[in-house]
Amino acid sequence: MFSGRRAQATSQVVRRHRPDYQIVLFMGLLMLLGLIVMYAIGPQRAQVLNSAYGTDFYSASYFFTKQVLSLALAVAVFFLMARLPYQWLQQRSKQVLYAGLIACGILAVAGWLQLGIAQCSLGACRWFDLGPLGSVQPSEFLKLGLLLFASGFIATRTKQGLLNDTYKSIIPLGALFFVIAVLVIGIQKDMGTGLAMLAILATMMLVAGLKMRVALGLGLVALVAGVLLIIIAPHRVDRITAFLQGDSASVSDAETYHIAHAKIAIGSGGLLGVGIGNSVQATGYLPEAINDSVFAIMGETFGFVGLVLVLILFTALLLRILSVADKLPGLEEQLLVVGVFGWLAAHVILNVAAMTGIFPLTGITLPLLSFGGTSMVFIAGALGLAFQLSRYTTHRTISEGARYEDSRSWRGVGRTRYASRGNRI
Amino acid sequence: MPFQSISHSRIRMLIIASVFLMAVFVVRLFYLQIIEHSKYSILADAEQVKRLTIPATRGEIYMEDNGTPVKVVLNETVYTMFVDPKIITDPEAVKDVIRAVAGGNAVDGFAKLVDKKETRYQVVAKNVTRRQAELIKKKELAGIGFQAVVRRVYPEGTLAAQTLGFVNYDQKGQYGIEGRFDKQLRGKDGMLQSVTDVSNVPLTIGNRNVNIPAQNGANIVLTLDRNVQAYTEKALSDGLRKIGATDGSVIVMDPNDGSVLAMANLPTYNPSKFTKVTNASAFNNAVVSDPYEPGSVVKTFTVATGINTNTITPQSTYVNTDYITIDDRTITNATKGQTGTISIQHALTWSLNTGMVTVAQRLGGGTINRQARNTMYSYFHDRFHLGQMTGIETTGEVPGELIPPTAVEGNAVRYSNMSFGQGMNPTMVQVAAGFSSLINGGTYYYPTIIKGNLNDDGDIVPAEQKKPQENVISASTSATMRTMILKARREFYAGNDRKGYDIGGKTGTSQDIVNGEYTFDETTGTYIGFGGDTKPKYVIMVRVSSKGRALNGGDHALPIFTDISNWMIDYLKLQPKG
Repeated sequence: MFSGRRAQATSQVVRRHRPDYQIVLFMGLLMLLGLIVMYAIGPQRAQVLNSAYGTDFYSASYFFTKQVLSLALAVAVFFLMARLPYQWLQQRSKQVLYAGLIACGILAVAGWLQLGIAQCSLGACRWFDLGPLGSVQPSEFLKLGLLLFASGFIATRTKQGLLNDTYKSIIPLGALFFVIAVLVIGIQKDMGTGLAMLAILATMMLVAGLKMRVALGLGLVALVAGVLLIIIAPHRVDRITAFLQGDSASVSDAETYHIAHAKIAIGSGGLLGVGIGNSVQATGYLPEAINDSVFAIMGETFGFVGLVLVLILFTALLLRILSVADKLPGLEEQLLVVGVFGWLAAHVILNVAAMTGIFPLTGITLPLLSFGGTSMVFIAGALGLAFQLSRYTTHRTISEGARYEDSRSWRGVGRTRYASRGNRI
Repeated sequence: MPFQSISHSRIRMLIIASVFLMAVFVVRLFYLQIIEHSKYSILADAEQVKRLTIPATRGEIYMEDNGTPVKVVLNETVYTMFVDPKIITDPEAVKDVIRAVAGGNAVDGFAKLVDKKETRYQVVAKNVTRRQAELIKKKELAGIGFQAVVRRVYPEGTLAAQTLGFVNYDQKGQYGIEGRFDKQLRGKDGMLQSVTDVSNVPLTIGNRNVNIPAQNGANIVLTLDRNVQAYTEKALSDGLRKIGATDGSVIVMDPNDGSVLAMANLPTYNPSKFTKVTNASAFNNAVVSDPYEPGSVVKTFTVATGINTNTITPQSTYVNTDYITIDDRTITNATKGQTGTISIQHALTWSLNTGMVTVAQRLGGGTINRQARNTMYSYFHDRFHLGQMTGIETTGEVPGELIPPTAVEGNAVRYSNMSFGQGMNPTMVQVAAGFSSLINGGTYYYPTIIKGNLNDDGDIVPAEQKKPQENVISASTSATMRTMILKARREFYAGNDRKGYDIGGKTGTSQDIVNGEYTFDETTGTYIGFGGDTKPKYVIMVRVSSKGRALNGGDHALPIFTDISNWMIDYLKLQPKG
């Protein structure tokens, strides 16, 4: 049902040029900030875990060291994805997608059979336990598969003029997302990742030119489905109620406790924060201090100034990605980069909105800052793709000029003489 | 339309949406971190900062023992034993060890509590000693814990119970020294304020940590002598048993400085078992809190007033008819037949009311006029301090009552009654302190039970004492009074006294009020006296009463005095005269 993308569809006429190093800059700054936070609160986190499990397994530098390793791996993957020709990847997008779906399926079965390989908590199995190698979250792999596959699929349908066609594109994509939703939101109970994938699809379709009428219809369907999903899962109902209690929430139950303590951490930080190493909320008051709640801990540590800086860095990175997408000559490449934007933006927005109490908790990591290898490696990989594609941008004026050519052809777009900014290689 | 132009505008939408959302976040952060900062700081403090009280050790109470302070009230650390049934691995062994070691301290039905598998905390024994706790710990059984509790201990049992008081379950001192000096004994709790992690482990983060050490309570040394107190209680209890009476009080004082050596009251109680007390009057120190008509013992005060104002001498005479009429009342003697012209000494010795009324009349030049009443009042109230608080450092002292001549009831009849100890309500401590000034050379010492505080070096820091009032009567009047009171005792009652010592005293018997009326069927017996060698060394006042019993000073109170007096001579190692 998913038709393949023609390999020759993308114009190859743009010469490789200097990539957009600002992506590396912002990504690197965020990674370093995250590392500082890990360094600062790692000891507290280790202490909490040691006392909870009655061990002294976690040393003071445990989390810092692991984060350094994760970052090293993530940077390696970033440069791999920046080098590995994206066409090669896109040709294998279906295989990646299927591999992701199968991995999630295996995880679901393993979790159901209670095999040791499935790492579960509170009835949700999201990780494969790889023993000494750590654990891997297959839904991240599925996310990459979706990104690669959908960009090609949507680009093809768009070029066929069938993007808004119910049977040729809406239903197939809807069906794909339904399968993903069953696996990720339904079985893994991972609303955050599900929403991130929805965001990838939605931003791509929007940029591909989905009619607003269709977009609104789909949005309505998504809303109804979302409400249904919330109703069938009690923990989501709790999160919504917790959210609706707003700033006056008590701290009696787990969900309100999490939000309330995130806000206490952020609010008590004030203008400049309590300073590195002085976070008290990280000593066990705030759940997931090191992962999903790292934004709140940064708020406590670095204050308003620090968080605004973080938001500026994310905004700059997101706008850079969009700017790359905007200047890409091929729709497939555009959609690929827009998907990366959707991926990153969904994580940042859902996480920050939850931590500041303006959207219910979804349990999603803050990219590049949160502790955790899988998320870090895959987001770095996605950014690597965007970085690779930033070598093939053209000047915007040409594409605007194309409007007057009364043509949907690819000719005239992205001529090499416009492609570089004087940095010919 | 080419896809670039659509995608361009759509990308612009995404840019705008992103920037808009980020702006919303910044506004929200500004609200949380700047505007609401203080609110969240308070919330953070509320859960991050823990305050631990460092309890101050309650001061201990000492009595004298031959000049050395000894503890009579102290603190003891005992342990409350609890179990965590959920983690107990061998419940039978736990039960066995509780039965074998904690035994009597185990709470009722502890075996069932041990078996409550679903619970995490059950108290199974209380007041376990350290030795017991160590024995139990040695068994190394899982799920057993101890919590230290400081307990107030009164090792001497009922000794001086009303003087000492007790500490209730809220750790608040009640009655006696415990109540009166609760604040000083309590000291000041210290505080440890610390930022802690979620499991209350203190952190060294920030500047919110505070450590104020506890100031332990003061150790108080009483003037009470443990031996005198113990013997006085024994003598009182024996004396009451002999006469079959229920209620009695004794105060033993040093007349030369006002310090109280013993105060005993029956019925009494054990401060360690204060909850077992059914009648709360056992808590009261009747010596200071129960004013009554002391009766004829007051005759010593009347005679002293007469002599010191040069109105009479012991040898002054009057005609006794056993009756004397004041206004519309006729006053009779309790002992009749000593009629004729007799001396004041005779009247005091035989305790004749008419003699005292005569003294009161002569104070006014023949009638108990305003001048006579003013003189009596100024002596009784201003010099002997009757009918007013003595300021003794205990709880429950009351002023009693001495009606001044300015009052409507302060008429001649009233003052004629007062001359032999009726129509007035002083407390025993007032009478004993006033009596001391009659026989010690004429100085009124305010009665005290506080010697001082015992500091950390074991030295006594003396308490500041009220300045005594000198010359309430002249030294010669006092010498005369000593002689008169000695004679009053020797005439009838000196048979059991140690020979070679000066022991004097005066009886008193007063009617109790039953159903609002004075009755002869129930009377209170009083005896007050002094003893010593070259000068008086002790004053003892005894009061006995019992429901429905007519008790008098000579038959019922006096033997208790004699018992204590003879013992005091030995205890104080007084040398007999030639």
